[in-house]
Amino acid sequence: MQLDTALLVGVLFGLSIYLILLRSFVQILFGFTLLSTSVNLFLLATSGSPDGKTVPIIGAGPNPVDPLPQALILTAIVISFGVTAYLVVLLYRIFLDHDTIDAQDLFHPPKKTDDNSP
Amino acid sequence: MNEPIYFVAAPMLIAIISLFWREPSTTRRLFGVLSAAFITLGALYFVITLSLNEQRLILNVGDWKAPLGITLVLDPLAAIMLFLSGFSALASLLYSMFELPTRSEHPLRQPLLFFLLTGINLSFVTGDLFNLFVAFEIMLISSYALLTLEANDWDIKQSFPYLTINLLGSTLFLAACGLAYSIYGSLNFAHMASQTTALAGDSRLLVLATLLMCVFSIKAGIFPFYYWLPNSYPILPTPLAAFFAGMLTKVGIYVLFRLFTTVLPHDLTSLHTLLAWLAGATMIFGVLGAVSRNFIRGILSFHILSQIGYMALAIAFFTPLSLAACVFYIIHHIIVKATLFLVGGTVSSLNGTDDLSRTGGLWKVAPILGLCFLLQALSLAGIPPLSGFWGKYLIFVEGIRLHDYLLVAAALLAGILTLYSMLKIWLGAFWSPLPDSGELHLHETRWKPLTAVVAAMTIVSLAIGLGAEHVYRISAVASRMALDQSGYVAAVMAALGKGGF
Repeated sequence: MQLDTALLVGVLFGLSIYLILLRSFVQILFGFTLLSTSVNLFLLATSGSPDGKTVPIIGAGPNPVDPLPQALILTAIVISFGVTAYLVVLLYRIFLDHDTIDAQDLFHPPKKTDDNSP
Repeated sequence: MNEPIYFVAAPMLIAIISLFWREPSTTRRLFGVLSAAFITLGALYFVITLSLNEQRLILNVGDWKAPLGITLVLDPLAAIMLFLSGFSALASLLYSMFELPTRSEHPLRQPLLFFLLTGINLSFVTGDLFNLFVAFEIMLISSYALLTLEANDWDIKQSFPYLTINLLGSTLFLAACGLAYSIYGSLNFAHMASQTTALAGDSRLLVLATLLMCVFSIKAGIFPFYYWLPNSYPILPTPLAAFFAGMLTKVGIYVLFRLFTTVLPHDLTSLHTLLAWLAGATMIFGVLGAVSRNFIRGILSFHILSQIGYMALAIAFFTPLSLAACVFYIIHHIIVKATLFLVGGTVSSLNGTDDLSRTGGLWKVAPILGLCFLLQALSLAGIPPLSGFWGKYLIFVEGIRLHDYLLVAAALLAGILTLYSMLKIWLGAFWSPLPDSGELHLHETRWKPLTAVVAAMTIVSLAIGLGAEHVYRISAVASRMALDQSGYVAAVMAALGKGGF
């Protein structure tokens, strides 16, 4: 169980870092969304194996699962939602201003023949 | 004892109240300045009383005792940082009040500045790792907003690396929280510190400490992680750039200091050595970057990095004297750096640009501004008896005592190059005559009140240099109390509340 989670977290981390390193804004955005999901999964894994445990509600059972990582994840989800919303708006503004969704073109714009670049 | 939360609640309330004025008005600006002054004075009161009594004020939020609830701790180190954050916010607000006419200030600047202050202050007083994460997020989201709020269409792309690297850092921080929870079973600083002996020799601690060091090296701008900083800070308007340059990276340094002294075990020598060498590299590369730039804000932004190197080096030596020197250096650096950014802003409003090839001739028209710049620049380079000298001196003494001659040599070289690049600004903006392509806006800009703000900050900085003994004594108390893990644990566990172990 723990090994499965560890592998899944590892694969998700790898995928999201790969996406972040790509040049397109959309892929970078998805990379960050995936990254926050994978780190949330990592946090969930710190509460230990849930085998034979019950939901952490008073009266639900004798052996509840550790609820604290779930509380942390809830906070982290809210924060990453806010940051993702901000990132979307920023990328949209950069797209409007620079007319590109490619990080390479953004910082090293291709040489234009017509000279209306600032 | 409710004192620790005042410094978090007050800026938040002020920010919310500021939002009720829908347009910037003189009343709102005065309200902002007065409340920032009030916060600064309050923090100064706690700096003095707490360090005289060697006392910690502890608040269990919601009345739940230490490992269960969220703990806020106000100790002398936190009080010093609160004072500095309040002081920089005050300077920034005063400067933006005099710089721009009321109607041209962005309506969200003041509320966002206070939200930023909320996050910064919460990260100083918090006694809980996850709460620290939340504080960092409040701080970062406000800083993203401020960075892009007034950026023009061309500059806005520079905020993109800032955003992405900090997002990555925050995610790693979250992972570090999870790791800490699985090792310690708690995220409370005191509860973590109390398990140091039980977990002695556990190699997982080294992994956790390395991860945390990477996270806060990103925030502080230590060597391999600093590339986001020098391009993103110059796009900010002057008063905000001064606040960011003064405070934000120092929050990273403060957290490194706090974690290495109060929370993590003290015997992570291999990690301290690694940090020392990274700090050495930060000093050298930062100052070389500064030498290569030819506009004032670019030079100053790179200088933040090289100065961060000194502070990280002082943490890495990890002796009582070097830690006291680190606190002293933080006090000195925040004020000097903010002043230099404000001088740079005044120069660029006087000359219409801060490109050093087109500035000049200011020594004749604005000698007080020039004098303030010269004093602060020499202080940054470490010329006695200005405030920068004492911090550097203590760090050098510790370096020589520990036989780290190479690092001391790097620090000395960085000091000399700092002087060189500061002289570049001095010659370019003040001493040399105005070049033919340059222009001087003496009557259009309100540079005289701006000079007054700068002069007031220079006087504070001079007072730190000349009264170094008192400041050092407070720094020594602050660092000693941060190092005293058992005292911290006992104080937090003894605080009133329900529940607890």
